Amino acid sequence: MSLLDRKVRGFRLVDLIGVSLLVVLILGVYLAKTIAGRERAEIAAVERQIKAEQTRIRLLQAEVAHLEQPGRIERLSVGYLKMEPVTAGREATVEQIIDIARAGPPKKEKPVSIVAAMVNESDAIPGVPPPPPPEALPLRIAEASR
Amino acid sequence: MSFGESSLRASLLSRWLSERVWGLEHAFERARASGRAEDDTRLRIFFVLVLFAIGFVILAIGATRAALFSDAARADGRVAPAATTRADLVDRNGMLLAADLLHYGLYIDPREIWEPEETRRALLAALPNLDPNRLERALRGNRRIFVLGALTPEQRNKVHALGLPGVSFEPEQRRVYPLGTSAAHFIGFSDAGGEGIAGAEAALNEEIRAAAGGQIPLSIDLRVQGALEDELYKAVHEFTPKGAVGLVTDVHTGEILGMASWPVYDPNKPGKAGVYAQTNRAAATVFEMGSTFKAFTVAIGLDTGVATPNSTFDATQPFKLGYRTIHDYHAARKVLTLVEVFQHSSNIGTAKLAVAIGPQRMGDYFKRLGLTEPAPVELIETARPLTPKVWNEDAVASTSFGHGINVTPLALARAYNTILNGGRLIPLTILKKEPGESVEGRQVMSERTSLQMLSIMRANVAGEAGSGRSANIPGLSVGGKTGTGEKYDPAIRGYNRKRQVSSFAAVFPTNGPVEAKRYFVLILLDEPHGTARSAGYATGGWVAAPAAGRVIERIAPFLGVQRQPEIAEIAPAGATPVGDGQ
Repeated sequence: MSLLDRKVRGFRLVDLIGVSLLVVLILGVYLAKTIAGRERAEIAAVERQIKAEQTRIRLLQAEVAHLEQPGRIERLSVGYLKMEPVTAGREATVEQIIDIARAGPPKKEKPVSIVAAMVNESDAIPGVPPPPPPEALPLRIAEASR
Repeated sequence: MSFGESSLRASLLSRWLSERVWGLEHAFERARASGRAEDDTRLRIFFVLVLFAIGFVILAIGATRAALFSDAARADGRVAPAATTRADLVDRNGMLLAADLLHYGLYIDPREIWEPEETRRALLAALPNLDPNRLERALRGNRRIFVLGALTPEQRNKVHALGLPGVSFEPEQRRVYPLGTSAAHFIGFSDAGGEGIAGAEAALNEEIRAAAGGQIPLSIDLRVQGALEDELYKAVHEFTPKGAVGLVTDVHTGEILGMASWPVYDPNKPGKAGVYAQTNRAAATVFEMGSTFKAFTVAIGLDTGVATPNSTFDATQPFKLGYRTIHDYHAARKVLTLVEVFQHSSNIGTAKLAVAIGPQRMGDYFKRLGLTEPAPVELIETARPLTPKVWNEDAVASTSFGHGINVTPLALARAYNTILNGGRLIPLTILKKEPGESVEGRQVMSERTSLQMLSIMRANVAGEAGSGRSANIPGLSVGGKTGTGEKYDPAIRGYNRKRQVSSFAAVFPTNGPVEAKRYFVLILLDEPHGTARSAGYATGGWVAAPAAGRVIERIAPFLGVQRQPEIAEIAPAGATPVGDGQ
């Protein structure tokens, strides 16, 4: 009996094989499409997220650049921390440290800081950022401009 | 494969196919002939099924492959916002100066809006800068129109959260200058269409557009720029001029490391500033510089061999030249050496030196120093100088101390670079040069002259008689020349002593060989006013030199210039020869 004539429960074997193959193929394609679609959506979502993050990073970089404006840093450091550019008189080499220590602490009557005074007065000049709000650290600003 | 080969292969294939079909038909006929008609039909159905299955398998494989490996997701248009049109501008250390940032445009389609009143109220509350009239026109229209641009992602999210129908957004790129007024004249700005209008944005427009998505490093150092602006604005605050300029250049490469012009403007809102504030005074304004030009006259005198540092000039009496008499601002009334002429900023001594050099050679050297042409720099604003029509003795005497010739601060910086870098005339640039990159330049003076000028300029700052001593910074070997040029006043048809251009041209460090790292600093105030602190004076030595000194003190660490222990440097007022530049 040839393969074409063999029957199983009244159905030809070859038909059953064909139908089974067809079902497997349909199922396979369905699963492949479904899984691929899900993956595709996931990839698209990740790519959107990457793009959004990149956009956000650029925005943050611009914000950092804005916040790190030299003039703003200068104003904040003078206003809040009473810092000012280091002058030659305040620089020392490692060898000089011992001499400085022997000389003792500097005199308390520190001269008026010209830089601090000018920066704190500078709110009227375009280009020079205004000093920080007085309510933030009123004591330090008062001391700096004394 | 040739046409003949392909047609032969096609005919073989068709023959093979027809033989198979006919073979099948014959098999069916044989089956029918043998009395098994049912097998005949089933066979046909079976083979049709097989053919369908093969086709289906091929389609399935193709569909699966397309689904798994296609890049359709990348082209669905949802993930790619509007592309940048201009490259980022960064400083020489990579700090961001200008960038295209994603913003959103707000659109309204009135056909989709159910409650216009609610939409109007919600939008005006969420976007305070929204023009109510424009919104009203959009709500009363009959098609989707643009209402407001340049919304930040936060503003967009705020409006989006309102859930208003008919309100939508389109991504758009907008040029942003995060530093605001800092380096505004150097960076410039571009228009909404992405075309550069001023500064580096205009100068490098094509390069910036070509490099969209990348970065273009400029020559400035933001730390240097910050210190320069800070000290310049402090000088402006103190002496209230009508304009001011600050410049820092590398004398060997021509790179502009810092450029400040006052008044300033915000390139994010250029329309709000007038033309006066937008003008880059370093490049686009010409000034009669005054005594800073004496450095050129002295350098020419040394280079031509007309004078040595110890040559003497009689400044006891005013110098009469034709119809005019030349006086000294601070009359020394004595015989001065060349170094003393420089230190006292003697007009008489300089004019006598210029006359000795001769009009022909003076004009020739001024041309060689680039003082008779616009400073060659990428900036489109660079202005043409105003020079004497005829180089005669009168013109030479005037230009020898900076009168009768108007140049831009950039042209002055370029000429100073030349006399300080070993005598090579090199162009200025706003683009970063890589370390070791060669710079083309024409030798217009000798290295010996350059070293002598460094010594003389140092003497002018270190010596007690020097006019630039307020710029002296311990350990940095600062040299310089003050300049105070009276401005021509059409109202009085002459020079007005109360309207001055006060400047200080500095160099540091002056010690070391000619090829040592060296920087030029210029501070210029246009019509400053004297104060009690300046004893009422508004001259370069009082108003510009201290600011230049403070700038140098602050930028030296950024530029890698180490403080040197104070050594016995140039003795004051020509007490010792300085000709060898040591």
